[in-house]
Amino acid sequence: MINFLDFRKPQRYIGNEYNVIKKTHKNRIKVCISYPDLYEIGMSNLGLRIIYGLLNEYDDVVCERVFMPDKDLLSYLKESKIKLPSLETKTKLCDFDVIGFNFNYELNFTNFLHILALGGVALKANERKDIIVLGGGGANPEPIAEFVDVFCLGEFEAVAASFIDVLRKYNGKEERLKALSEIDGFYVPSLYEVSFSGDQYIIKKKYEKAKLPIKKVHVKDLDNSYYPLKWLTPHTQIIHDRVPIEIARGCPNSCTFCQARALFYPYRERKIETIKRMVELIYKNSGYENFSFLSFSASNYSKIEQLIDETFDYFKERRIGISFPSLRVDDIAGRLYQRISQLKKANITLAVEAAGADLRRNIKKNIDISRVFEAAEIVSSLNARHMKLYFMYGFPQETNDDLCAIGDFLTALQKRSRLNLNVSINVFIPKPFSSWEKYPMDTEALIAQKKMTILTNMPRRKSIKLSFSDPKKSILEGIMSRADRDFSKVIHSVFLSGGCFDGYNENFSWDVWERAMKEADIDYSRYINKELKSYPWSHIVCGMIKHQDTITK
Amino acid sequence: MEIIKYPLKVRYCKSGEMVYFSQLDIMHIFDRALRRTELPLYFTQGFTPRLKMSFGNALKLGVAGESEVTFYFLQEVSYDQLCQLLSNQLPEGLHLKGAD
Repeated sequence: MINFLDFRKPQRYIGNEYNVIKKTHKNRIKVCISYPDLYEIGMSNLGLRIIYGLLNEYDDVVCERVFMPDKDLLSYLKESKIKLPSLETKTKLCDFDVIGFNFNYELNFTNFLHILALGGVALKANERKDIIVLGGGGANPEPIAEFVDVFCLGEFEAVAASFIDVLRKYNGKEERLKALSEIDGFYVPSLYEVSFSGDQYIIKKKYEKAKLPIKKVHVKDLDNSYYPLKWLTPHTQIIHDRVPIEIARGCPNSCTFCQARALFYPYRERKIETIKRMVELIYKNSGYENFSFLSFSASNYSKIEQLIDETFDYFKERRIGISFPSLRVDDIAGRLYQRISQLKKANITLAVEAAGADLRRNIKKNIDISRVFEAAEIVSSLNARHMKLYFMYGFPQETNDDLCAIGDFLTALQKRSRLNLNVSINVFIPKPFSSWEKYPMDTEALIAQKKMTILTNMPRRKSIKLSFSDPKKSILEGIMSRADRDFSKVIHSVFLSGGCFDGYNENFSWDVWERAMKEADIDYSRYINKELKSYPWSHIVCGMIKHQDTITK
Repeated sequence: MEIIKYPLKVRYCKSGEMVYFSQLDIMHIFDRALRRTELPLYFTQGFTPRLKMSFGNALKLGVAGESEVTFYFLQEVSYDQLCQLLSNQLPEGLHLKGAD
């Protein structure tokens, strides 16, 4: 037995949340799903909750959860050889039929391997006899293809029924994987052979009936798709401690750097009636005091004002806080923000991304900058003190002026609004499936130089707080998101050396990764600094209509 | 106009797996459980209304024990009424032990 009191935040290992689903294992298909990070982060992931509820709707399926233990428990489990158990029934991972992982963040890849190892599960797909490791939520599966038996590309809800059917029908692992590979949305890496020659990747089927290219799948009718109404309510605080009500999925905008738009293509909305019913049922079932209307861009929801009007009283009467994580400038300058701020002191985050007007047009971030000033004044007049802003640098064909413009813009904005500005500045990463996937990422030296340019033109003011992402972390994220199958040995060796939680600044070590890449004889510039004819992920189609993706100058 | 609030002081007991949860967690658990009961709850006035609760001594993390808490309602609510509605909303290891 583990005495959880010896570890930091023992609450996250207890489970037993309100609305938890516990079933016996006898005669059921046993699935355990995981978000490979700490409990409080994984529990904030909507996809995980949807799949948890959805799989448990099937009478002959039991779905449980496991998360990454914090470093103290991790080393204890390793030393004591106690196997990592699931939250619900404390079953060892190696006793499940299927273990599912969310791969939406590349820097969690080492955590994923730790969870398998702690659970007593062989790491490599071809070393596992029965257990199927299912991957989802990610974009480019190749760097972890060696460890995962089958990927679901796109939205799992759309193919959950077929997945369960295959498990019911076939018993052996090989038959199951082959059957899955014949269904759109499933990718079984071991059934394909990949080679690299010239400057393109060539992929060949090893099993005739497997799909190629592999199509991403999506829910056709979002309004009638499954949503977890018996909201799993933790007894302890999680990172996003509110109920997200997904009002729309996908994004109708076409920012060139955006990967999410491709992964959740096309844009779909839920009806207001459906949303209202979801809010009422989930509140009744959970008592949650905070809700958020989730979408990539709330202002694109076609009846956003009507939605707020029709839910306003419900939230107000019950003292429920409501937030919109994706407001745009026009909503604030418009009527929307004033209405929302009556419910909650809403701090505002705006993704401006680029300060130069030409560059902003090129990345298709259509913001009228004069409206940003208007918005800041409104926010300020409603007693908010802060405003958060996002910028990116390292774009293709970015000029010196574009970089200097960030400082000028912030100075002017601060002067006019008197708000404290928290500014987060990140490096552009050409993510797979984004319109700009083919553009090389800036080299480390160039990123450093550009960062200096931004900083020398930045006013030194207490009211403007800057936070730069670690360029090396961004480079690693770029590598991991774009790498091919060769890279799995790098991830494996970093895992062996104890690397974990690479997404956390205090844990991230570029040196460890650099050494591992050298040992594996991998020159990472081939992943991020070169334009190729095809990419490791080119055999996957997401069905998005590509907009004009060249740079106009 | 001042809204009249009706306090109800109860004893509660933390045991079993609940000993891993902090005082702040316990507060949230009561908050959400009360909201699920649909009792006439009293919220603090002001810009960010919160469910009003006053706790007695906080219980230590890792140790089972008893303490008291006062809930506030918009109408008179008896202990029996509260117990009937709230008890099955509370997780295993958190129990009401009577009015104080």
